Amino acid sequence: MVFAMLLLTAAANWVPMRWTAADPASLAILKGTPVNCLLLEKAAVNPKTVEAATKSGIETMAVIGAGATEEQVQSASEMKLKGVVFEGDYAADAAARLRKVATDSGLLTIDLPPRSKMRFDAALPVVGTYEGVWPGIRVEEEGAAKAAPSGGPWIDTNSGFLRFVRAATDAPVWIGVRPPAGSAITAERYMQAISDAAIVGARWILALDEDLQRRLLAGEEPALKAWQRIVGLLSYFESHNDWRTMKPAGELAILQDVDSGALLSGGVLDMIAVKHTPVRPVPTHSLDPKSMQGTKMAVNVDPGALSDAQKQTLRTWTRSGGTLLNGPATWKFPAPQAGQITLSDADVKTLDDIWKEMNSMTGRRNLGVRLFNVSSMLSNFTESADRTTSVLQLVNYSGFPVENVTVHLLGKFKSAQLLAPGAPPKKVEAYEVEEGTGVDIDGVNVAATLLMER
Amino acid sequence: MTRRELLALASTSTLVRANEAPTAPVAIARCASYDEDLDSILKTMFDQVGLDRMVANKTVAIKLNLTGSPSIRFQGKPLGSTHYTHPKTIGAMIAQLDRAGAKRIRLVESCAGTAGPLEEYMLDSGWNVRSLQSAATRAKLEFENTNALGKSKKYVRVKPSGKPYIFPAYELNSAYVGTDLFMSMAKLKNHATCGVTLSMKNCFGNTPASIYGDDAGVDEPNESPTKGRLAVCHFGKRAPSKVALPELDPQSSREPEYRMPRITAELVSARPIDIAFIDGVETVSGGEGPWIRGLRYIRPGVLLLGTNGVTTDAVATAVMGYDPMAAKGTKPFAKCDNTFKLAEALGVGTADLKRIEVRGLAIQQARFPFES
Repeated sequence: MVFAMLLLTAAANWVPMRWTAADPASLAILKGTPVNCLLLEKAAVNPKTVEAATKSGIETMAVIGAGATEEQVQSASEMKLKGVVFEGDYAADAAARLRKVATDSGLLTIDLPPRSKMRFDAALPVVGTYEGVWPGIRVEEEGAAKAAPSGGPWIDTNSGFLRFVRAATDAPVWIGVRPPAGSAITAERYMQAISDAAIVGARWILALDEDLQRRLLAGEEPALKAWQRIVGLLSYFESHNDWRTMKPAGELAILQDVDSGALLSGGVLDMIAVKHTPVRPVPTHSLDPKSMQGTKMAVNVDPGALSDAQKQTLRTWTRSGGTLLNGPATWKFPAPQAGQITLSDADVKTLDDIWKEMNSMTGRRNLGVRLFNVSSMLSNFTESADRTTSVLQLVNYSGFPVENVTVHLLGKFKSAQLLAPGAPPKKVEAYEVEEGTGVDIDGVNVAATLLMER
Repeated sequence: MTRRELLALASTSTLVRANEAPTAPVAIARCASYDEDLDSILKTMFDQVGLDRMVANKTVAIKLNLTGSPSIRFQGKPLGSTHYTHPKTIGAMIAQLDRAGAKRIRLVESCAGTAGPLEEYMLDSGWNVRSLQSAATRAKLEFENTNALGKSKKYVRVKPSGKPYIFPAYELNSAYVGTDLFMSMAKLKNHATCGVTLSMKNCFGNTPASIYGDDAGVDEPNESPTKGRLAVCHFGKRAPSKVALPELDPQSSREPEYRMPRITAELVSARPIDIAFIDGVETVSGGEGPWIRGLRYIRPGVLLLGTNGVTTDAVATAVMGYDPMAAKGTKPFAKCDNTFKLAEALGVGTADLKRIEVRGLAIQQARFPFES
């Protein structure tokens, strides 16, 4: 029992990467990086690689796809791997059977199911999925960026989904989307994928495309430089683990759950993120007075899902000044079908309706922070439990540096510090604006973090 | 263009007005970068066209060119380096007007798809508004989004001089009228429909979307517009809000190449440009913004300043390598009517280079062919 608890605790600090190379010598590229947990694909599962990784302080997990056998699980135990990752769309009984074999063999188990089959038990070492969109600005034919309904470029992101998952579980959250096959992927795109998960406190399971991995292992200089940038950004986020303990800040709550569209990307939470309105996802099933503390506005996507006690909670909240936007029955998105991770065309129309209603409710109001010149970015606004420290994370998906970002925070802050990968912390001026405090950020490459102290 | 319209344009009275159209000098200066001493360059240009004397104790409204959403960028470059007025030229212009004794400087623009504060639109464009605010030490600096009523209480009706083409009058935000001097601060660019977009075409955006927008109210203005002016102005598919006068002839051509040059000419006749400034330091060729295919980033390295929209634009068009008197069918007016001739016919100014005095750099020295 104690051993199991220790494993669970350790998993919270694992920085995962998919690994396909069979040669143990290839592990040399991980030296000095934060990567400390390898998800060994079939080709890489061999005693020498496991031994070399273990000697380097790296945990190893065997990735076992749907249709696996008990022998594969036992083999992982014999090779002294730390555990197994059940990745794919397992039948429930098969998953349970293999999980038991693994547990009986002393192996830790992690599930990476489709989104539609995710579990949110707090006792899980990791909550994750293999399904995700490849983060970045969606580009149409001839290189033109696709525009979103809000007028800005359309950013494909998993961050809204991950925000919900983080709110639904205390376990570490991993997303295992793989880079798209057959396309050249720049270092920036990998950095965007890392940041897309990291700004909301989750981890992307680092996975290199075949071309970069081949060139990297061959020691090609451009590949090594790209790798240094990628792991540099990873180190940036991993060296600030305290940010993962921060809670979503802001005055707007979104009440949504698994069966009302929260597991889909491009949904309500992503729509709000594009507007850079700070938002607190509140899983409907866990709505209670505490979850609404500090909020002044709320969008309830599926009022029919509330219990009587929860309805009373919202009544009390509105009587104390909260503004509630209750969605009609048509706002309830269906639970995702197998393989579905984004909204259907019909759902996009519903999203547009929600957007209009929400826009008229929030207007230009500052619900925690307002950002300017950030159309190619996503952000996340969190704060410490005592509310003395606020953290604003920014990710730039454009592939170009963005200059002159302005931040207007609600309330008075006495100091501001800008952090960015590869740069020393920089004190920035916190000046007075109508809503509270203004800060100017000179530029953002891929990621930047604004630390504010009250 | 129909035969009737052609005859109307070429009527004797129109030609007489063209010959009588006023002229004014235009200054051209070399400026290779926005990091150059813009204050000094502008001061010289002000002297060359006699602006210092004009602005003392005056209110100056500056119409910026912030076309298209700030989120749409060309090759990731700052908006001011491609299709927006550059903030550094605005800062330098504010400082210059301030030094010249302007009493109040009002920055105005009808911001794409919003009636929100102009300052916030500028912040979204990556501009440092605080820095602009500090550029004026004596003059009062104001900001107004003219896409709706803004800080005004009512719209103001302005009428073109002479015989109008499309609309008999326009309803504008009062910032364009309640000012002693009106400056159009434009970019040196092509325009996909009008051939070029300079200080005059910039005034197309004087029209509030609350009345002339696609989501304008039918009877009353929509004070929260979110769309552009395509349906009302470009294509004439719907009428403006009924608070504005309707079109003169709903049977006239609906082609934007016919309508937009005429509307532009009417607008600069109804609210003449007192100061025309054109930024050609860095810009784009091939169109007015990133939504136009085939755009190219270029660095002509020039600035132009004048006291008449038509004369200044005519010289700018020549700097771009075109004949400002070119007829429809000849670039830059390959598919559209010549806005300058239409404005000339309304008595706004002359586009005849022989009648325009150029000061500072000669056209030949400044020439930067946009078609190469």
